[in-house]
Amino acid sequence: MNIGRTVASWGLNIAIALVALRTNLMRSILTTLGVMIGVLAVILAVAVGDGAKASVMDSINQLGSNMAIVFPQPENKGGRRVVDRGRLTERDATAIQRLVPGVSAIAPQLRSTVQLVIQGRNSTTTAIGITADYGRVANTEIDTGRFIADADIRTAARVVVLGPSVATKLFGSFDPLGQTVRIARVPFTIIGVLETKGSTFGTDNDDIALVPITTARQRFATVAGQGPDDLAILFVGFEDGVNLAAGKNAIIRVLRARNNVPKGEISPFTVNTTEEFMKQSGTVTAVFQGVLVAIASISLLVGGIGIMNIMLVSVTERTREIGLRMALGAKRSDIRNQFLVEAAVLCVIGGAIGLMLATLLAHIFEKMADFPAPIGAGTVVGAILFSAFIGLAFGSYPAIRASRLSPIEALRSE
Amino acid sequence: MPAAVDPPLLETRDLVKEYVLGGETVHAVAGVSLKIVRGEFVAIMGASGSGKSTFMNMIGALDVPTSGHLLLDGIDTAALSSDELADIRNRKIGFVFQQFNLLARTSATDNVAVPLIYAGLSGPERRARAEATLRDMGLGDRMSHTPAKLSGGQQQRVAIARALVTNPLMVLADEPTGALDTRTSEDIMGIFQRLNDDGITVIVVTHEPDVAQYASRRILFRDGKVIEDAPVVDRHRAA
Repeated sequence: MNIGRTVASWGLNIAIALVALRTNLMRSILTTLGVMIGVLAVILAVAVGDGAKASVMDSINQLGSNMAIVFPQPENKGGRRVVDRGRLTERDATAIQRLVPGVSAIAPQLRSTVQLVIQGRNSTTTAIGITADYGRVANTEIDTGRFIADADIRTAARVVVLGPSVATKLFGSFDPLGQTVRIARVPFTIIGVLETKGSTFGTDNDDIALVPITTARQRFATVAGQGPDDLAILFVGFEDGVNLAAGKNAIIRVLRARNNVPKGEISPFTVNTTEEFMKQSGTVTAVFQGVLVAIASISLLVGGIGIMNIMLVSVTERTREIGLRMALGAKRSDIRNQFLVEAAVLCVIGGAIGLMLATLLAHIFEKMADFPAPIGAGTVVGAILFSAFIGLAFGSYPAIRASRLSPIEALRSE
Repeated sequence: MPAAVDPPLLETRDLVKEYVLGGETVHAVAGVSLKIVRGEFVAIMGASGSGKSTFMNMIGALDVPTSGHLLLDGIDTAALSSDELADIRNRKIGFVFQQFNLLARTSATDNVAVPLIYAGLSGPERRARAEATLRDMGLGDRMSHTPAKLSGGQQQRVAIARALVTNPLMVLADEPTGALDTRTSEDIMGIFQRLNDDGITVIVVTHEPDVAQYASRRILFRDGKVIEDAPVVDRHRAA
């Protein structure tokens, strides 16, 4: 059979289908509704899932896009351990900067929970003792004022840069710059306020106070403060294009050598990269999206069953027409295709309307919930193809039933 | 050409059709052997239950015999698949039904064009041939009308146009005047006579003796058997 004729006969089947669907307009609309709602639900589920993925990735990027994070906690895995506590020092940090290739900057940190007090108001937050490179490594920018400088570190100056959440909590809409705030009963001068970063996994990235690492070491009781230069955490920023897995291995080699960890024993430190966070979160959001889509698919399944039901009714009602067409020369495949196309047309119309509504609702959702719900070109094409597939899948049983009718019995039916 | 040499258009050899109904075997057609040659106008008569309709369904390749042979244009239909039978119905047989069987909400032209869809003709070809056939039937001014806007006689003429549009070897009409009044019936039988005069083989199933008088040969069925097969004497000629 030549292709032109095949295309023409499908075109004709679509025309026949449209006439048949118009004949029972109300029924067609109601049937379409089922598929429409199903497609709408699936597209929204995909969009919300994509949005969640995007926002999680975005918030991980907020941490710093290309870095490794070293914790002084022993590796969380089985193995012989000589150390019962982790170790990470400023000398380790310097060694990493010197020995690991591709490192752009390091940000050694001390962390302690502190109370900030000003004129009767107080706020408990995490004070991070940092060096001047912290901003560069952790993607943290100053909104007003200035960042902590090398001079502040050298002199262990009592200066603080507030996260916007802390600033708002203590000062409301007043300008905190130049004000004095007591942190652990020591007066600090506020020299800057950070730009808003939002939250990651429910943790407010803006609820922090940055102080020089030297000041933190002198003034605050820190968790990691066993040795004179112990660190709570170390950010290692890499240059763009550096393989983070290789960078992580290089850090591990350097630190194991410095700590004389024998082969086979676990390391007294843990190294994670942003890449790994992204991969883990990607898995989590993919599962989340999968669950959403699976739930939404149930409504599409119900819609498909509606299609099958109505096509069975249609075949029964039009038994005589089927018999007539057979008498006039229709082959079984002609009858089957006619009803398949009818089911597919019904579903594609439903799918297209569902797609339009989904786009509209996603826009409204984005505006109202401030949450991305993108509908990509792939989703659009996928939705239409999938609707056609639903039509063909659920239409095939009624269509095959129609094609198996005996012409004479079909003609005789009333 | 002498009839003995000319292969019959239709030949049945001991054709049998049996149904099992409520545990009992019904011999709807109980061994019919006959030949119909090109250009004949045959009336198949009989009371209801005589087997004439079952016989008609079998020679129309709509139903398959339980035993015996049916040769259509020299082809034994026993060995054919359902698709091949569909093809024979499409190319060699034109059907006319008592209840017209036109597709509702579909124009006369589109109704007539339906068999051409299955013959694989293109849209413009279908339209051209359907319109030409409708004009031959005197319906040139009714081509875009749907069945609901046509009289019974007009609807049956559309149905005849649909039967003729594929240039079949024969037209099979099952009680074609059963739903029509006397005058319209005469018109329709006149059309069949005219077609027959043009060389088309016409087989009409009817229980009305009047209608049978238009044919040239009358075959009478009773209890699934042919009890009479004779030329029609005193044949009606439509005006």
